[in-house]
Amino acid sequence: MKPTISFSSLKVGDAVTPLDISLTATMIVAGAVASRDFMPVHHDKEFAISQGAPDIFMNILTTNGYIARFLSDWAGPGARVANIRIRLGVPAIPGHHLEFRGEILKLEMQDDQGQVEVSIKVTNEMGDHATGTAMVVLPT
Amino acid sequence: MSEEETDPVWDQLADWIGKPLTKGGPTLSPEDVNLPMIRHWIDAMDDRNPVYEDPAAAAEVGLDSVVAPPAMLQAWTMPRPILEGIAERGGVPTEIDPDNPINILDEAGFAATLATNSELEFDRYLKPGERLTSESVLESVSKRKQTGIGTGYFVSWVNTFRDQNGEVVGRQLFRILKFNPGGTL
Repeated sequence: MKPTISFSSLKVGDAVTPLDISLTATMIVAGAVASRDFMPVHHDKEFAISQGAPDIFMNILTTNGYIARFLSDWAGPGARVANIRIRLGVPAIPGHHLEFRGEILKLEMQDDQGQVEVSIKVTNEMGDHATGTAMVVLPT
Repeated sequence: MSEEETDPVWDQLADWIGKPLTKGGPTLSPEDVNLPMIRHWIDAMDDRNPVYEDPAAAAEVGLDSVVAPPAMLQAWTMPRPILEGIAERGGVPTEIDPDNPINILDEAGFAATLATNSELEFDRYLKPGERLTSESVLESVSKRKQTGIGTGYFVSWVNTFRDQNGEVVGRQLFRILKFNPGGTL
């Protein structure tokens, strides 16, 4: 099992391990159904186009799901995600390459736990898909 | 429109601020937190954090069982959908009571929706067998604003998620812009 990242090894400005996703229609539909979101814009291309979208697009629960994965892929199984606060931008559609990036903004000890605040920036071919911050809690 | 001018649409919305959007109390999740739905989720996101399905891995990091991915919080309380007519309802999974602030905006001509912010807070991770409720309260409504895509109102609500003992386990603030595409003040 991948070890959990050590709080004492971290510095402000350190990068979160990047995550790149080549998005397919299958992944968008799988995310929507796993989150029980049956809005047709997330699985029905014709309907999505009728609503002014270029194609089906990823739902917000899936965006948050990938951000949580991005954080725990980096921080390891002993880390707990305490919050994800994002501003939503351009849609994510099939064929897009999503780049998840982040860096440590703040490190703080509280109640014997290490609190790591990171920036979140998810971009694709159209621009910023989601930007914001997240908090990861590490055992110490 | 200046701040001093009256806006009957906003006045109607203001009555809802601080009030629950769902009548009859919090909504009970259709299912307990459960492993099959966790597996659907981790396969969809290709999330290989072992604490979501391997009890030994969970024990190794001090958890007493596997836990659900945190971002599933809202998924647990999504209603079971009525698929027939879902496109006509604008994607809304079930028939809803038309007496709600979003409907006020739809009827006033601010029918388009753009999600702008999501703020998820996870007080703790959830275990299989737990059963959640959620309650949505309208947090705030902006005055009518001019944006790059039209005029409209930023509407924010907070969903509070509680466990079977009534303890809060997480929250989500959600903000949308309800707008009139191309409109000007």
